Amino acid sequence: MLEVMDKLWWMQVSYGFIAILGFSIRSNIKGWKLLFTSIGGALSWGLYLLFLAWSSSLLLSVFLATLAVCLYSEFMGRAFKVPVAVFVICSIIPLVPGSGLYYSMIAYIDGRTLEAMRKMGETMMIAGTISVAIAVMSSVANIFRKMLRMF
Amino acid sequence: MQDLNINKVAELAIETGQVVLESGGETHRVEEMMHNVCSGFGFTSNESYVTLTGIFLSIKASDGQIVTLIKRIGSRAVDLDKISAVSRLSHDLMNRNCKGKPKTVCVPMSFEEYSNRLQTIKTRKQYPGWVKYVCGGITPGFFCLLFGGSWREFAVAFIMGIIITIILRNLTKLQLNAFLLNAVGAGLVVWIAKMSGMYIGQMNTDKIIIGGIFLLVPGLSMTNAIRDTMAGDLVAGTARTVEALFISVAIATGAGAMLKLWKLLV
Repeated sequence: MLEVMDKLWWMQVSYGFIAILGFSIRSNIKGWKLLFTSIGGALSWGLYLLFLAWSSSLLLSVFLATLAVCLYSEFMGRAFKVPVAVFVICSIIPLVPGSGLYYSMIAYIDGRTLEAMRKMGETMMIAGTISVAIAVMSSVANIFRKMLRMF
Repeated sequence: MQDLNINKVAELAIETGQVVLESGGETHRVEEMMHNVCSGFGFTSNESYVTLTGIFLSIKASDGQIVTLIKRIGSRAVDLDKISAVSRLSHDLMNRNCKGKPKTVCVPMSFEEYSNRLQTIKTRKQYPGWVKYVCGGITPGFFCLLFGGSWREFAVAFIMGIIITIILRNLTKLQLNAFLLNAVGAGLVVWIAKMSGMYIGQMNTDKIIIGGIFLLVPGLSMTNAIRDTMAGDLVAGTARTVEALFISVAIATGAGAMLKLWKLLV
C-alpha cells in the first residue's frame, strides 16, 4: 500500500495542496485556517490515491478518503471553534467528480451514448459516495458528542 | 438582563442569521446561533425556522409578550470568513452569558458589545480583487496538473482561470441566476481551452477543461445539503440538493453546448 508514496505521489499531493489553497482564498478564508484547509485538500487526494492502490476499488477509496477528511475536519472545527462545514467544503473538492461530468458530456456529443451513460452513472455514484461518507461522519460525530456530554 | 428591549433582541438575532445565511452557512447552524443570541440575552423561550430563502423568528418574553419577525434572504454568496467570525462571536456570547457558572465568575457580554462586533463582522473586508483573480488562476492550473496535464497546459489553465474569474465576477454584478452564470462559465472554459488547442497547438485540451470545471463545481451546496439533511432539516437539505444538481446540469449544458458548437463550426 505504501509503495505508491513515491515522487509522483508527493507531487500530486502538493498540487492538491496549492489548488485548495487557491480555492480557500477564493472562498475568503483568512488566517491560519488557510493552512489547515489546504492540508485537508492534500490529505483527501493523497489518501484517495493510497486507498486506490491498496483496494483498486474507486468507490471504496473515495468513501474512505472522504471519511478520513471529515474526521480531520471535525477535529479542526473543534480546534478553531468554527463550523466543521468550513473545513469539509474545502477539503472534499479534489474528490468531486468534475472530470466524470466532462468525459460523459464529450462522449455523448461524439455519439458514444453507451459510454456517456456509463460515465454519467459513475459520476453520480462518486457524488453519492461522497455524500454518504459526509453523512456517516457527521452522524458519528454527533453521537460521540452526545456520549461525551453524558459522562 | 430582562430590561432589554425584546424588539431589539429579535432584530439583532435575525441580523445574525442573515449574515450567516447570506455567506452560505448551514441552516441548522443559523437556527442554533439565533437561539444562542436570544437565550444569551435572557429570552429563553424562542423558536426559529430557517430555510434557504427566508428566516422566521418568534420570541416570547416572560410577561407573555410575543414578537415575530420574518426576513427574506435575496442573495447568497460564499464567504466562509464571515461564517467563522459569527460562529466565534456566538460561541463567546454563550460562554460569557452562561448558564451553570455562577454570575460572579463570568462577565456577561453586553448588548452593545455584541451589536458592535456584529457590525464589524458585516463590514469585514474580503481579499482585494487581484488576489482573488490570481487564486482563480491557481485553482484550475493546479487541478490541471493534478489530473495529468503538463506545464504548458498549466499556463493556459492559469490564464484561463484569471479571465473567467474576472468575467464571472462582473456578471455577478448583473445578478444573473446561478444556472446562467455557471453555464456561461463552463462554455467559456471550453471555448478558451479549444482556442488554445487550435492556435498554440500540442495541447491536451481535456485536462485544461477539467481544471476549469473545478472553478464551478458546487462543493458548498453538496456539503451543506448532506449536513443539513443529517441534522434533520429536510427542507433546506432538499433545496440545497436541488441547487447542487442544477449547478451540475448548468455546467454540463454550458460545456456540452460549446463542444457541439465547436464541432459544428470548426
